[in-house]
Amino acid sequence: MMIGTAHDIMSKVTPPRAVFVDHPVGRTFGPPHNRLRNEEVLARVLEELPKFTRAGEIRDPGFQWLADGGRAWEDELRAEMRQDR
Amino acid sequence: MPFQYLPVMAQNSAPKPPRVLVSPSRPAWCPISRPLSTSRVALLSSAALRLAHQEPFIPREDFGYRRVPSEPNAGDLVIDHHSGIGRVPKQDPEIVFPRTALANLQRRGIVGSLAPFHFSFMGGLRDHGKIENELATSIANDLKQAQVDLALLVPY
Repeated sequence: MMIGTAHDIMSKVTPPRAVFVDHPVGRTFGPPHNRLRNEEVLARVLEELPKFTRAGEIRDPGFQWLADGGRAWEDELRAEMRQDR
Repeated sequence: MPFQYLPVMAQNSAPKPPRVLVSPSRPAWCPISRPLSTSRVALLSSAALRLAHQEPFIPREDFGYRRVPSEPNAGDLVIDHHSGIGRVPKQDPEIVFPRTALANLQRRGIVGSLAPFHFSFMGGLRDHGKIENELATSIANDLKQAQVDLALLVPY
């Protein structure tokens, strides 16, 4: 089972099972040094395991990076990714 | 709407063509044979993770993999992946490789048992045939020998 942050990439590569975590890439299980958050995310992801019904399905439990659901983090992420040029 | 990574990656690679993404050439779906609470679980990571004393991943097209002990106290983790997004995960590799979280879920009885080793390799490799026929096959054999029921792949 894949646990990924890039929904568009997972849609193209079609792993047998995938859970989408709507966090910035590189922070799949939360911000640094928060073991409780790591465990909460992993436990929630694993709850999806028995729900898959077909190969290539991507399940979305509804994670949010920011508590208010805001997406300001996307601009920071684009700036970080530019360093890959 | 989820963040769109592919346009940003295409922009980064310009004027070279964007990276080619492929699906597995063979079906990989296996039915779930046992509940999670009795399953043996392993982590897979494309962050090129290792223990500090293990051989570094070099160069960018390194097709090897490392066995990382599943015991969280087995040593600090190092990320060799070259990506620009690595600044934050290098501060705390557990945010892309939840070794401690998985061990805690096993202690709580949510997960049955841990594989003795998790596995890490370099992400972003371009020889898809070599990935599928060599790298993935080798890791799959290791997982089978360890009687792993569930492998969790966290892309980097």
